[in-house]
Amino acid sequence: MFGQANVLAQGQAEFPPSVEDFYLPSILPWGAHDNYWFTKITLMVWLAVGVLILFFLLSYRNPKLVPTKKQWFAESIYGFVRNNIAVDMIGHAGVRFAPYFTTLFCFILLTNAFAIIPFFQISPNSHIAFPAFLAVISYVMFNWIGIRHHGFVKYFKNSLIPPAPWYILPLLIPIEFFSTFLVRPFSLAVRLFANMFAGHMLLLVFTLGGFAMISANAWLAPVSVLSWVMTIALTFLEFLVICLQAYVFTVLTASYVQGALAEEH
Amino acid sequence: MAGDQKPPSTGGPGDDPSGAGQGWTALSYLIGGMLVWGFIGWLVDQWLDLGGIATGIGVVLGMAGGIILVVRRLGTPT
Repeated sequence: MFGQANVLAQGQAEFPPSVEDFYLPSILPWGAHDNYWFTKITLMVWLAVGVLILFFLLSYRNPKLVPTKKQWFAESIYGFVRNNIAVDMIGHAGVRFAPYFTTLFCFILLTNAFAIIPFFQISPNSHIAFPAFLAVISYVMFNWIGIRHHGFVKYFKNSLIPPAPWYILPLLIPIEFFSTFLVRPFSLAVRLFANMFAGHMLLLVFTLGGFAMISANAWLAPVSVLSWVMTIALTFLEFLVICLQAYVFTVLTASYVQGALAEEH
Repeated sequence: MAGDQKPPSTGGPGDDPSGAGQGWTALSYLIGGMLVWGFIGWLVDQWLDLGGIATGIGVVLGMAGGIILVVRRLGTPT
């Protein structure tokens, strides 16, 4: 929030942008470059948590039969996740997971949206730690649900032993193990992280590239304007990616929970 | 083929994963198959010094395994 404006004002904007640009100066202590206990990223995560808690508490505090605008908005988000993700993927048993999916969806959507909200302009999810932890939560959750539903042995038997003749099982079981227990958390985390990282990088390249060109040669001014126009266009693309990734993360979590609950077939 | 499609989802937990989930599952089986058995083949290569033959065989086996898994797990039950 504060770093970028300073960097541009002091003409320190270096081109091309690097991974360093994702590590903003610390807020407390102010401006330190080697201290990551309280940074803009930390602030944004807690802000997202606070905004979501407040929003849902306030909109449901005094529910009306004919909903107010705020209540309608909160109910549509919940209804969307409940009907289009939880019930769609899991069935009626999915309703009890709807609150978690809604929380997950809103949290990812909001933290992703920080990537294009002015003055925030970077998403906490462009640091692997946050998607990784969200993926760990989903991973532990679907395994735990599966073990509780089927019992330990039956759950692993269900998920590791596909319905196939015994002589190809040795070929299939390692693949099942790999794709169910190793790839899932990894791909969940990396998909969200890579999308947000690439999105921020792309915006940086076009914004800073504009500054680099205009300061290198005045004749390049039209091209740098073009570069900034591209930044605006890419911001809309980012908006699409932001919504899509929040949706995909939630849908995949729901699909894993469904897989853990599924009976043998 | 149109005749043996399943009736629409009744919403029980025993249903197959729908749409997106099914797609990701299939993709992860196909890629996972190649990676796992390719890796095992590569280990055999390192062990017996076969110069890459085992890796190739592993990848092909893994592909076959991945396809079998997609058919068995996601195919229409008979």
